[in-house]
Amino acid sequence: MPLVAQQFLLLVGKDLRIEARSRQTIGLVIVLGLLIVVVLGLGLGGGAAVGFGATVVLWVAYLFSGVLCFEKTMAVERSESALAALMLTPISRGTLYLAKLTSNLALMAAVALVITPAGVLFFSFDLSAAPFTFTAVMALGIVGFAAIGTLFAAVVSSTRLQGGLLAMMIFPVALPLVIASTQLLIHQFRDGLPVGGLGLGVLVAFDAIFLTASWLMFEWVLEP
Amino acid sequence: MSSVQGKLVRSYWIAVALLFAADLVLIIHYTPDERSMGAVQKIFYLHLPVAINTFLACLTAFVASIAYLWQRKGWWDELAAAAARVAVQLCAVVLATGMIWGRAAWGVWWTWSPRLTFSLILFFLYVVYLVVRSSVEGRERRAIIGSVYAIIAFLDVPLVWLSARLLPDIHPGSIQLEPAMKLTLMASFVPVTLLAAGLVVTRFVLNRTSSAAANSDQANNPREIRTAPFVAGATLHGPKAIRQTGGAL
Repeated sequence: MPLVAQQFLLLVGKDLRIEARSRQTIGLVIVLGLLIVVVLGLGLGGGAAVGFGATVVLWVAYLFSGVLCFEKTMAVERSESALAALMLTPISRGTLYLAKLTSNLALMAAVALVITPAGVLFFSFDLSAAPFTFTAVMALGIVGFAAIGTLFAAVVSSTRLQGGLLAMMIFPVALPLVIASTQLLIHQFRDGLPVGGLGLGVLVAFDAIFLTASWLMFEWVLEP
Repeated sequence: MSSVQGKLVRSYWIAVALLFAADLVLIIHYTPDERSMGAVQKIFYLHLPVAINTFLACLTAFVASIAYLWQRKGWWDELAAAAARVAVQLCAVVLATGMIWGRAAWGVWWTWSPRLTFSLILFFLYVVYLVVRSSVEGRERRAIIGSVYAIIAFLDVPLVWLSARLLPDIHPGSIQLEPAMKLTLMASFVPVTLLAAGLVVTRFVLNRTSSAAANSDQANNPREIRTAPFVAGATLHGPKAIRQTGGAL
């Protein structure tokens, strides 16, 4: 196995082991996501967002849970100057980024696995028409969201900026993902139109552009 | 600023004001009213040039940010900050004129049409850039983080535009312009572009001056310089500590 792959697996394993032992992020993030779904369900009175409208509610839950998740996984590296030690190792910054992104994606997948059924249940959203399409569109969205989230979490963590700034940095940039994925799913579930065309192109382009840009720029924002 | 420079700057702004006045005369008296929308369509002669200049200001911030990361010269960052600030101001004008036009044409101040949504997201992207810059301490760190965010924000612009096109649109697709209307539109680009360029340059000069003042403060306060390495050294780790302390830590 190439050295880079070994380093990558080592870093991802480290992050996931820390999380498995401490469970300090996943529990918090899942409860937050569920609360957002419940609060929006109560606020909307079950009327406005019944059915495919649940995709919008789910995106709000993913966004806030994701921000907390990225913040916490980066904060782990701050404790006892772990990041400084990590930066002294002969591992490229690009590999550090990919490992942190993969850890964030694993946590986001776990969060989505709990929040999505709750959203489907509370909003009577019938996924049976296209469950794989829903999964694929949301997965593409979450990959792009995690790509910029991981980069900006490193920015916020390295500058000790106030809480809330990470959400402010990520949300405007992530809006194309929210618009494209919700419009795709609304067209699929309400109008029965197949997923594709411009919406899918935006999701794929977003992922490709921001995975590459974040991977290239991670080196500059990372500071012990 | 020397007296010659001061006179040049004053002459520039007087020329811009006169060109604006001439443009207003063209818009009010020379250009005919549009058939369906009437006189309110005349806001278009301000709306479109400002929108194009907003994009040019964002492009300037993007190019200057790349140049900063490439060359690490502070004035590139100061130019990016100046352009981003002007982009926010121009985008606010685009939103305001768009809303006024929308109210007259469609009867609502706001609708989630692609172009309005695009302008709003663009506005937020660059407002966040300014907020992020003002929140970071340390000039070099602020410049790096600002540059990274400006690049990400500009890369996001075409994606925002494409995704917004997925929303239902009630905007006019294209407007057929008479020769008098085309001429006025072309003429409107001149004062608006000169205003935008003047604002960017003025803000850039202000940024340079405040940066020079900050440098001068630091140079005139030797106590800060003497104590800084001890304070910083206490919390430094990793390659940066080795680089800064010559491996003494």
